[in-house]
Amino acid sequence: MMLVKIILTAIPFIWTIGMVPFVNQVKPLVFGIPFFAFWMIAGIFVCFLCINGLYYIDNKKNRAR
Amino acid sequence: MSDQTAALLIIFLFVIGVTVLGMIPGMRDHTKGGMKLEDWAVGGRNFGRWLNWFVLAGEIYTAFAFLGASGWAYARGGPTFYILGYGALAYLVGYYILPSMSPIGRKYNLMTQPDLIEHLYGSKTLGILTAVIGIAFLLPYLQLQLTGLGLIIETCSYGQITRVPAMLIAFMMVAAFVYFSGLKGVATTAVVKDVIMIIAILFFGIYLPTHYFGSVGGMFEALDTAKPGFLSLPGGTKNLDVSWVMSTLVVTSLGFYMWPHFATNSFSAKNPDVLRHNAVYLPLYQICLLFPMLVGFTALLILAEPLKTPDMAFMVIVQQLFPAWVLGLVGGAGALACMVPAGDLLLSTSMLFTRNVYGRTFGKELTPYGQARMARFVVLGLTAIALSLAIFLPNMLVNLLLTGYSGVTQFFPMIVLGLFWGKATRLGAYAGLIVGEILVFGLILGKMDPLAIGGMNLNAGFVALFFNFIIYVAISLLSSSDKHLVSDKAQDL
Repeated sequence: MMLVKIILTAIPFIWTIGMVPFVNQVKPLVFGIPFFAFWMIAGIFVCFLCINGLYYIDNKKNRAR
Repeated sequence: MSDQTAALLIIFLFVIGVTVLGMIPGMRDHTKGGMKLEDWAVGGRNFGRWLNWFVLAGEIYTAFAFLGASGWAYARGGPTFYILGYGALAYLVGYYILPSMSPIGRKYNLMTQPDLIEHLYGSKTLGILTAVIGIAFLLPYLQLQLTGLGLIIETCSYGQITRVPAMLIAFMMVAAFVYFSGLKGVATTAVVKDVIMIIAILFFGIYLPTHYFGSVGGMFEALDTAKPGFLSLPGGTKNLDVSWVMSTLVVTSLGFYMWPHFATNSFSAKNPDVLRHNAVYLPLYQICLLFPMLVGFTALLILAEPLKTPDMAFMVIVQQLFPAWVLGLVGGAGALACMVPAGDLLLSTSMLFTRNVYGRTFGKELTPYGQARMARFVVLGLTAIALSLAIFLPNMLVNLLLTGYSGVTQFFPMIVLGLFWGKATRLGAYAGLIVGEILVFGLILGKMDPLAIGGMNLNAGFVALFFNFIIYVAISLLSSSDKHLVSDKAQDL
């Protein structure tokens, strides 16, 4: 479980910060938005899902206790 | 009635209405024989999940989000998109930090961030130092809100009120607002302001590009053709490149919960689960930050004359294209988007001063009621300082926030390692903090932010944080014989 939590914590940082050098482009526009901006917004969803995962794991642990 | 009278009248009616609304909870407390500092500032520690959510969300939609983001989009282009990234990461950081901080705060009756430092490291002096640094870097943040409010008043008067008088009016509005309400009032008003801001920002963000270019995509196509490269990094700048965005994202995501006012808010949460639960859905709010940027980009394409103050892009486009009453409504909501956060910032800053600086040095005999009374006067003093900064050292709104971030991020090693690392020591905290802050001051005042090094342009706060962290860890390990390890203080719950 610890490993899952570490992965869920690392993914948003890699997505939003680590990937910047590879996504710095205007085209293609995705949903009409420049690619770099789209990538950042996608990062918000990725982060949302990861925090939800963490919350789910932590809540299960609390209930088990 | 002329346009400027109509727009300004709507703004003032709006603001007065909300201030009165904000005063009601405060007045009820007065009937029970005056408020203690704790009631006035922490709201009596009884915020439930929803009210707490609005206090936290209310701070996100500030002058920064609505004027600053559109202004940077207008002037800088691509680098603005960093703003979309840091908030969500910050909530992830907060997911780990806040639930550990909050129970300590409740157990030991802590109210402010320096209280926490004083408790963790058992050092009054370190607490006072933290308070002074916190106040110093809250000032640019306050200046941001005040500048934003001034720009709104200036635009809504259709140029009849110039910059300096507009700032003076903003100053009076903010000071009166905070003086008469307090945090409970701020929370009530955040609800009204959030709803109107979200409607206004969504409407203009979608309507303007669609009306002029057929769609949001059409607007971006047109901008990319007119200014190739503007929408990627470094956009309209020379040095805000990939390395700047990456280092800035580190500084802002780690620094977010290092703002002293967030500590006060997390202590006012009912239990740690409220804070964890907030982190679950708050990230999605960040998507709304895209819409003011859309307005800024559209403004760049359709405004005939280049703006002297890019931060006015949002207001100017509304002023030029819509009737006065629309401008008045947007101005009113925008004014609140400046005043509500300014109020929260002022309360926290005046708490830092009254409780952690004055209360720990000259004013040890001050009663809780005396503290509350003094805090109100400190509010006036702080607003005046922010006002003079806004008049004499004007800067773009996003730059002001980044300056503050560089400073408060330096608390990160001290607070986080203090909470979670068994080997942290007081000496390590002193050394790391002092080195970090000296670097921040030096680099920013020396106009070396961003710092060009090895082909990269790094955010000054990032450079400082790097050395801060290394020194904190090194000195902590070297001084491990110092019996004042913080671990037992953090983990005795």
